[in-house]
Amino acid sequence: MIHWTSHSVAETEKIAEGFAASLSAGDVIACRGGMGMGKTAFARGLARGLGLRDDVSSPTFALVHEYTDGRIPLYHFDMYRINNFEGLYSTGFFDYLEQGGVLLIEWSENIEGALPEGTITLEICRGADENTREIRIEGGRF
Amino acid sequence: MKLLMIDTSSQSAGCAIVEDGKLLGENYTNVNLTHSQTILPMVAMLLEQTHVKQEEIGLFGVTVGPGSFTGLRIGMAAVKGMAHALGKKCVPVSTLEALAWNMCGYDCLVAPVLDARCSQVYTALFAWQGMQLQRLEEDRACSITELGQRLKNVKNPVFLVGDGAQLCYNILKEEIPGLRLPSPAQIYTRAASAALAAERAAAAAVDPAQLEPSYLRLPQAQRELLARQKMKMV
Repeated sequence: MIHWTSHSVAETEKIAEGFAASLSAGDVIACRGGMGMGKTAFARGLARGLGLRDDVSSPTFALVHEYTDGRIPLYHFDMYRINNFEGLYSTGFFDYLEQGGVLLIEWSENIEGALPEGTITLEICRGADENTREIRIEGGRF
Repeated sequence: MKLLMIDTSSQSAGCAIVEDGKLLGENYTNVNLTHSQTILPMVAMLLEQTHVKQEEIGLFGVTVGPGSFTGLRIGMAAVKGMAHALGKKCVPVSTLEALAWNMCGYDCLVAPVLDARCSQVYTALFAWQGMQLQRLEEDRACSITELGQRLKNVKNPVFLVGDGAQLCYNILKEEIPGLRLPSPAQIYTRAASAALAAERAAAAAVDPAQLEPSYLRLPQAQRELLARQKMKMV
C-alpha cells in the first residue's frame, strides 16, 4: 500500500504525476471517492506523468475520455451511469482493456464484478481539514 | 464475382477477396492494434497485392457479431461506407458461423467461442459433414460453466475456435476430454473463411443501410453482478 497526504489540488496533481512513473500499459486503476475529492486533479497529474499533452476534464457526460497524445495512452472512465452489463459493454470498456493504455475508472463500484485481476485501487478521502486529502493506493502489485 | 470480406469483430482483424470459391488474397493481423486504424490500410494493400480494382468488387461481406462492441461498429462502418460508395450489396455473416468455416473440410463438431469477459462467452454449435455445414445451435451468450455442461453431452471430438478457444479449453479440458484445439492458423476469425461463408449466403445480401450489428444479450445473473452495492465477484 502507498499513502500520501495532500494539502491542495496542486499537490494532488504532483502526487499523481509522480505515481504515474510506476505504471505501465495495461494497468487498471479503480477510483473510490466522492465528488470534490480531486479525482479529476489526480487524473490530470496522471496524464502528465504518463507523458500526455492532452487537456484532462471529467468524463461524466461522455462516459470515457481518451488521452493519447504522448507516451502511454490514458483512458478515463466515469461509470456513474453504468448499472448493467450491456451498459458497460457499450462503453467499449472491454475493448479498451486490450488497447495497451492505462485505464482510470471513476465510480468503479458500479462495475466491481467486471474489474480484471490485478486492478489497482485508488481511494481519496477528506483529511483533517477541507483542503486535505488522504490518498491511498493498494491492490494489484501495490 | 469478386467478394471483399472484412472482419474486425474480435481480437484479430482481417480482409480477404474471394471469387467463385477461390481465395485471391487475404490480410490478417492479431496484434491488439486498434482495428479502426488498421483495417482500411489492410484493404488498400490487399487490393494492390491482388491487382483488383475497387470497381471489380461485386459484393461485400462483413462479420456482424456477436463480438467486440467497438470492433463490430468499425467493421460495419467500413463496409457500409465502401458498399454505399460503389453501389453494391453486403452479406452479413455471423461471427460464429465465420469461425466454423475455419474447420471446413474436416468432418467434426465445431463450437466457436468468443470471449465476452467475466467468464462468459458467445457461442454456437456446428457440424461439418461432407463439405456441408449444419448449424446445431443458435448464436447465444452463456457462462463458460454452462458451455461445459452443454458440450459434455455432445459426441466427441469438439473443436473450439475463436478468441475464447484457448481460455475455454484450459478450463474445460479435464471435464470434457473430447475437446480439441485446431492449428493456431485456424483458431481466430479469418476473413478468408468468413468470405467463403458469405459466398454461400450471397442470396441474403442486403443494401448497406440495412446492415445491423448483432449484439447478443449477456446472461441475467452476470448483469446483476454489476449492480450497485454488489461488491463481491461470485
